[in-house]
Amino acid sequence: MSKPVPLSKLDEKEFIVPANSACQGCAGSIVARIVSKVIGEDMVRQEVACCGPAFGNITQPVFYGEVFEGAGAMMTGFARAFNRLGRDDIRVTGIIGDGGTTDIGFQGLSASAERNEDMLWVCYDNEAYMNTGGQRSSATTKFAATTTTPVGEFSRGKKERKKPLPILVGVHRVPYMATASVAYPEDFIGKLQYAKPVKGFRFIQVSAPCPTGWNYDPRYSVKVAKEMVLSGLWPLYEVVEGALRITYKPKELKPVKDVLRSQGRFRHITDEEVDEIQGEVDEFWGRLQEKDGGPLF
Amino acid sequence: MAKFEVMVGNKAVAYAAKLARVKYVSAFPITPQTTIVQYLADMIANGELDADYVNMEGELSCQSSAMTAATTVRSFTATSGPGLLYMHHPMHMTTWARLPLVMAVVHRSTKGMQPDQMDTMSQRDTGWLMIECQNSQELLDTGIMSFKIAEDERVRLPTIFMGDGYILSYTSEPVELPAQEEVDAFLPPYKRPYPMFPEEAKEAMALMSQMWNPFVDPQNVWKQQQEAAMNAKTVIREVNAEFEKWFGRSYGNGLVEEYKCEGVEAVLVAMGTIASTAKTAIDQLQRDGRKVGLVAIKSFKPFPDDDFQRIGADVKAMGVIDRNVSTGTLGGITFTELRHSLYDLDERPMTLNFHAGMRGKEVRVEDIKRMAEKTLKAARGEKVTPLVEWA
Repeated sequence: MSKPVPLSKLDEKEFIVPANSACQGCAGSIVARIVSKVIGEDMVRQEVACCGPAFGNITQPVFYGEVFEGAGAMMTGFARAFNRLGRDDIRVTGIIGDGGTTDIGFQGLSASAERNEDMLWVCYDNEAYMNTGGQRSSATTKFAATTTTPVGEFSRGKKERKKPLPILVGVHRVPYMATASVAYPEDFIGKLQYAKPVKGFRFIQVSAPCPTGWNYDPRYSVKVAKEMVLSGLWPLYEVVEGALRITYKPKELKPVKDVLRSQGRFRHITDEEVDEIQGEVDEFWGRLQEKDGGPLF
Repeated sequence: MAKFEVMVGNKAVAYAAKLARVKYVSAFPITPQTTIVQYLADMIANGELDADYVNMEGELSCQSSAMTAATTVRSFTATSGPGLLYMHHPMHMTTWARLPLVMAVVHRSTKGMQPDQMDTMSQRDTGWLMIECQNSQELLDTGIMSFKIAEDERVRLPTIFMGDGYILSYTSEPVELPAQEEVDAFLPPYKRPYPMFPEEAKEAMALMSQMWNPFVDPQNVWKQQQEAAMNAKTVIREVNAEFEKWFGRSYGNGLVEEYKCEGVEAVLVAMGTIASTAKTAIDQLQRDGRKVGLVAIKSFKPFPDDDFQRIGADVKAMGVIDRNVSTGTLGGITFTELRHSLYDLDERPMTLNFHAGMRGKEVRVEDIKRMAEKTLKAARGEKVTPLVEWA
């Protein structure tokens, strides 16, 4: 079970060097900074095609595999080889986008989870293929306008629900699975610190809003991330060996309406469409609360 | 002490990986490769081989994980036909990262299960070295040699050693198994090709910026690969000669095997099991006084240009048997590569091409004799048509 840890408790040493080519307000680079600080000197990083190269100014060893679909397999090779040479102190860590996790990388993710490979997979979820210009992924929220699900006379944005990836990973019964948000660094750091020494497959999906793709003022990335948690659009929870625990419970969920409307990608949605999303959020939050403290399934 | 055992080609391949003391094996079933990884699973289960064995969820992952494992330990994987096609993307990456991974390919057509070379020929430009085998003994020996070639500092390129499915994979032959101590002496322990450990971060970063800095010259990566592949010609010859010293067996000069080519007017050029059948045809033809020999291509990548220039200057005609097709091009792939090698000669021999053995279509001694007679006819200066035929 993780415990929140404030950023001030971490070693001052930074592994992400100043200045990078990420967009203004990039929450993905906040994820990279926190992960590299928490895992620290023990980290060997796997990177695949994603925004990672833009904020990849991290000074731990990295293998940039242009095998977009290969994160799970490539980390398997590293983890097995390091362990074979007795280097089980090395933390093989992936900082992988949502496309490389839920879409093209999903087969490798599921297989690595099934084999319980010794790796930490951190998915920074900006809900689309942002590095290639904001195309829809299975992590995109319903009705969101993306460059491949534009809004027009015959289109209301993305037609399908967001893939419930944390649950899918959780049902693999891996040693550790959690959601996190850049707006709650204490919660995120606590989860990383808990996951770091655990052997086997560990997965954290971090909400990382993208001002470029979501179309809001870059200064509000953390605010947007926070509102997603407060409204229940992105609940914070963890699954340890099959048991679910909500790690942050807002007293009362804020309505999703204002949260959605503050993002340009949802500016077109009607009240009925807001109601549909609100209904799904309420239902999912209700289920989470029912399962809180007990088995995921 | 070496010992003999009767075994199928796939078992010989598994023994090559075992004797090389691989530490990482990624496995996925595909006919006719599957029993290779089954034999290796047995060897590990019985404690004969100490290695990580990972049942992957597909060939793409077999290739991707063996690639990253090869940054640190000696790694091996094996596949066939469609499985190899599925690996195509990470195969480029393995070359790009200059990792000396070794893979066995048991030829299977891209359509159907019987063998032809369409699987490996589809990977022709991935930058892998490709070495063909004619029998089970050769598979075992070439497997061991492949690690030494791939890992040589002058090369450091991933390497495929390959043989025909069914004809080799499931056919039993006596094979001499070299003693482990001798293989250990021939093939030194794996040297980690990359600084990947966290304490080597500075070194790793420096290497990355040196190798892959796009601001230096974006073409550098390919230029270096090309130089390494050309260096491999020398390294393959050396390793083949050294293998002969240790184990008393070698395969031509490592790049080509010239069979009864002294004083001939024409040669056939073939690869794999077709070359081994062709030896019988050449024996019979020479008994009847025909002046025709055989050149078996052992190394397809790097392509033995120098050898073909030397041989081409001495004969009047060359008949190339291609177990592959490159649609839209005049002839088969080895035919095209061969003619390219001969271009710089002042006097070029006549070249003919025979497509044969596609999707396991049988190539009999009589078929090869007929190809040889046609090539001899061309050598005598007679007009032969068609230049490229479907045998």
